[in-house]
Amino acid sequence: MFFKSGKKNGFEGGGLVLFENVEEAMSGERSLKADGIENRLVAPPPELRRGCDLALEINLVEKPAVERMLRSRQVHFIDILPMKGDAELLQVVQVTDFGEAVMVKAGNMKLTFDKATGVVLNISGGGCPDIPYLHAEMLAKPLDRAPRPKEMGHTLCSLMLDRAYVQSLEIWKNGSR
Amino acid sequence: MLLICGTAPRKDLPLTQGEASLHGDTLRINGAAIPCTQGTAALVSAACKTLEYLEQPSPRVLLVGDDGTGKGSRLLYEHLIGNLPRLAPRVVVLHYMLPVMGLMRKVSESASKAARRPFMIADAAAMYAAKAAGIARDFDLFTPDLSELAFLADPQATHPAYVSRHLFESDSTRIPELVAAAYANGSAARTLVVKGATDHVAQNGRILDTVSEPNVPALEAIGGTGDTISGMVGAFVHGGFDEVTAARVAIRANRMAGLYAGATPATRIWQVIEVLPRVFADHLDDWARQAGDASMERSAS
Repeated sequence: MFFKSGKKNGFEGGGLVLFENVEEAMSGERSLKADGIENRLVAPPPELRRGCDLALEINLVEKPAVERMLRSRQVHFIDILPMKGDAELLQVVQVTDFGEAVMVKAGNMKLTFDKATGVVLNISGGGCPDIPYLHAEMLAKPLDRAPRPKEMGHTLCSLMLDRAYVQSLEIWKNGSR
Repeated sequence: MLLICGTAPRKDLPLTQGEASLHGDTLRINGAAIPCTQGTAALVSAACKTLEYLEQPSPRVLLVGDDGTGKGSRLLYEHLIGNLPRLAPRVVVLHYMLPVMGLMRKVSESASKAARRPFMIADAAAMYAAKAAGIARDFDLFTPDLSELAFLADPQATHPAYVSRHLFESDSTRIPELVAAAYANGSAARTLVVKGATDHVAQNGRILDTVSEPNVPALEAIGGTGDTISGMVGAFVHGGFDEVTAARVAIRANRMAGLYAGATPATRIWQVIEVLPRVFADHLDDWARQAGDASMERSAS
């Protein structure tokens, strides 16, 4: 019963961390708890099972923070997946040319930069609390001197912003300066 | 009372409650100074300007610092769960916060314990949490953009980052289809205000209005231009407008504010917000009358 997935203990995260063996799963649980990241040990559903039959349920939205934390504590994991729906993060990037500025959209995030200087003009979209924080940190800085969203952010919105950032940097370096 | 709840991009801001007032590009709440930038600060600022124009009391705000770790968000959820019935707001807007399904469900349950359940609006990650938790139908109004509408239309996705590619790549011509899917899945609030190149207002699965003029493409790039719509809708509903009229007026005001501000991709959101009183003075009466006429036609049909 302890490992049974459900809503009765009040935690629904929607994300699953898969491990090769039980020791790593237990170590992952301890590490995340020590860092204040909510999680619980669960049996992964058969269709998602890889490695051992013990996994961690996490709040999927916190995937970047969980990945960073587990890596920093050298806890090896196989993958972090949503418990339902598409297993792949959105890869689609859309570009809008405003003339002197370019807007790059990845998922629900948009980053706009000045073509000539590479300065970040605006960040829009998203809904997780690290986005206004990243907005404040990145605004008015050239792309190559702005902090990378993946390194500062904690949520899936920051991961989408990171996609937009990487693409923006590439566009600027290849064509605009 | 209009109660706006969200996070601010400051690690050191404790859970702060009070009336908000806007001074240039700075928002003041109970001694705290918050820059009017993308996010809940922009939403609150637009609500302040709207209520001031309507000669209504300032919005009451619950704001907490959170850099994405979710620590501040959890304080906010717990406060709402414990206090919503006592606060008894008429309108609640839930905005930037770490989406936590179980806590959002408890917030909605707490709202139902008030003598009269508030009019509940969710935008940003509060909307993600409500949809992922399967309680979208308990809400009165959502304000998604096109990518977020694709998320609502995807029955499996728990965050817009995991939306099916074929839904994400939908262009605005497929909005009616996505709206229908969101309602069919039970993933839509009663009213949807879809923000985009063409704004759509839908209620109970039916599209009631579309607006595409004035066309100010730069608005999409400016961080906060969706937040301002949510803030205005909340303020207009609090001011006595029915929600469809509030939505119709807010999306028109947002576009017109972009035009008045001479918006470019480099414009800051406070520059758009500061022209709102002029927009209201020039257009609000006409828009409200037109929306009221449309509402009467809708009732008659």
